[in-house]
Amino acid sequence: MSTDQVVAVRDVRRSFGEREVLRGIELRFARGEFVALLGRSGSGKSTFLRALAGLDDGADGEIRVPRRRSVVFQDPRLLPWASVLDNVVLGLPGRGTDARGRTMLAEVGLAGHEDDWPKTLSGGEAQRAALARALVRDPHLLLLDEPFGALDALTRVRMHALVQQLHTRYRPAVLLVTHDVDEAVLLADRVLVLTDGVISLDERVSVPSPRLRGHPEFIALRSRLLRELGVDETAEGAHDPSNNTGDPQ
Amino acid sequence: MTATIQRIIVRTAVTDVPELVTLPTGRADTRRRRFHVPRSIERLFGVVVLLGLWQLAASAGWISPRQLAGPSTVVTAGWDMAKSGVLGHALWASLQRVLWGLAFGIPIGAGLALIAGLSRVGDDLVDANVQMLRFVPIIALQGLLIVWLGIGETVKVFLIVLGVAFPIYVNTSAAIRSIHPGYRELSKVVGLSRLQMIRKVILPGALPGFLVGLRLASGIAWLLLVFAEQINATKGIGYLMIRAQTFFQTDVIVVGIVVYAVLGLVCDSIVRVLEHGLLRWQPGR
Repeated sequence: MSTDQVVAVRDVRRSFGEREVLRGIELRFARGEFVALLGRSGSGKSTFLRALAGLDDGADGEIRVPRRRSVVFQDPRLLPWASVLDNVVLGLPGRGTDARGRTMLAEVGLAGHEDDWPKTLSGGEAQRAALARALVRDPHLLLLDEPFGALDALTRVRMHALVQQLHTRYRPAVLLVTHDVDEAVLLADRVLVLTDGVISLDERVSVPSPRLRGHPEFIALRSRLLRELGVDETAEGAHDPSNNTGDPQ
Repeated sequence: MTATIQRIIVRTAVTDVPELVTLPTGRADTRRRRFHVPRSIERLFGVVVLLGLWQLAASAGWISPRQLAGPSTVVTAGWDMAKSGVLGHALWASLQRVLWGLAFGIPIGAGLALIAGLSRVGDDLVDANVQMLRFVPIIALQGLLIVWLGIGETVKVFLIVLGVAFPIYVNTSAAIRSIHPGYRELSKVVGLSRLQMIRKVILPGALPGFLVGLRLASGIAWLLLVFAEQINATKGIGYLMIRAQTFFQTDVIVVGIVVYAVLGLVCDSIVRVLEHGLLRWQPGR
């Protein structure tokens, strides 16, 4: 593994009973790279993320990831009995962790909430605290498992901006698992699509920033990704309720 | 057909003028303006009526003092017993039994719950046995316990220990089991050691259940004390009551009942205060 690589995955397979969810995933990515992984629900994208997080040792193949890595789950998963600050610095070794936690809380716009109970935070605030908890570990790899899925549309837009800003500042490699095509194109340097247990599309995002949804390249890439996910935009009037991949916004 | 329906709709729309009513407003402060008795004191009204009727029945001679002493007699008896030190002495003896029972029962119950909640082997060894034994009425063990432990202080405290340990165990282990599995995942992701996980996730997560168990346990402890003190007691509230029984001193018996009730209430309040202080983080508090 070259020094510039943070993730090197070879032939990763994972079965649940008879069902093979991941069938030979090959993936490498570099330091600081922001990768979005798209897939229909049940495509195994979260299974793959859990394997990279080290939460699933049932997968076969070779997985090499940095020791310093953090995860933001779909739910904020803050311990309700610990203050916001204690949640952020949970498990951090060494001295001066509180100061680092405070700084990171200020970065995500939660200064002043250090001693609050998690129950007093709104959904967006709680997810920002979860983001602070992940980033305060100074990770080489940040795994985001549909972290904006449960937020309302307006909060989601603000979270996108925050994640972009924090990525620019701290430059961790990011794997964002999502089913929201717009979100992927908006945030990522590179977009992957997981279909039938393999990565069926791997494309660099060349939309110039600031990325606007109306930009022709944005629209073109969005269409390509939707097609890869099995959504026919021209038939979108005939809405297929069994297909919940596309853009939920 | 369609035309008829339309005509009807049009006509009703014209004739059916909505009647507007004015809803009462501006009464937000009326309650505060008038003199207001706190609800907790209002609720005592029923109790006062009952005590009054009881006193009336006793004074009028409708109830013989051999059956039930009146409230004033009970208060006098209680006052005399308190002044002479008999009550204090008995109270201290009873309190000691309960405290010893709690002192052993709480760690045993909580400890077993932790063993069962933290490892599969512990769960197999402990849980099935405890769940089976908890359906045995503890009073039914009294005979066996007397054979094993005699009729001294040990058997009295042991009964209470048993009564305390079970509710503590059942509620604490249920709470440990109900801790969201996501928190264990989180512990792994942020790299908590097993000991750190127990301290920061399992113990605080089990606390609400433990406190529910403690509240039940403190109630059961006093209940079992009543039984325990009937085994050859030479001191304590129960002893006073049994001796009074032989002399038909119903006033002393009622004093004993009241003391038991007050002690139970005090214990419950202590646990409530604990809950209030320790569970501030819970949603809805």
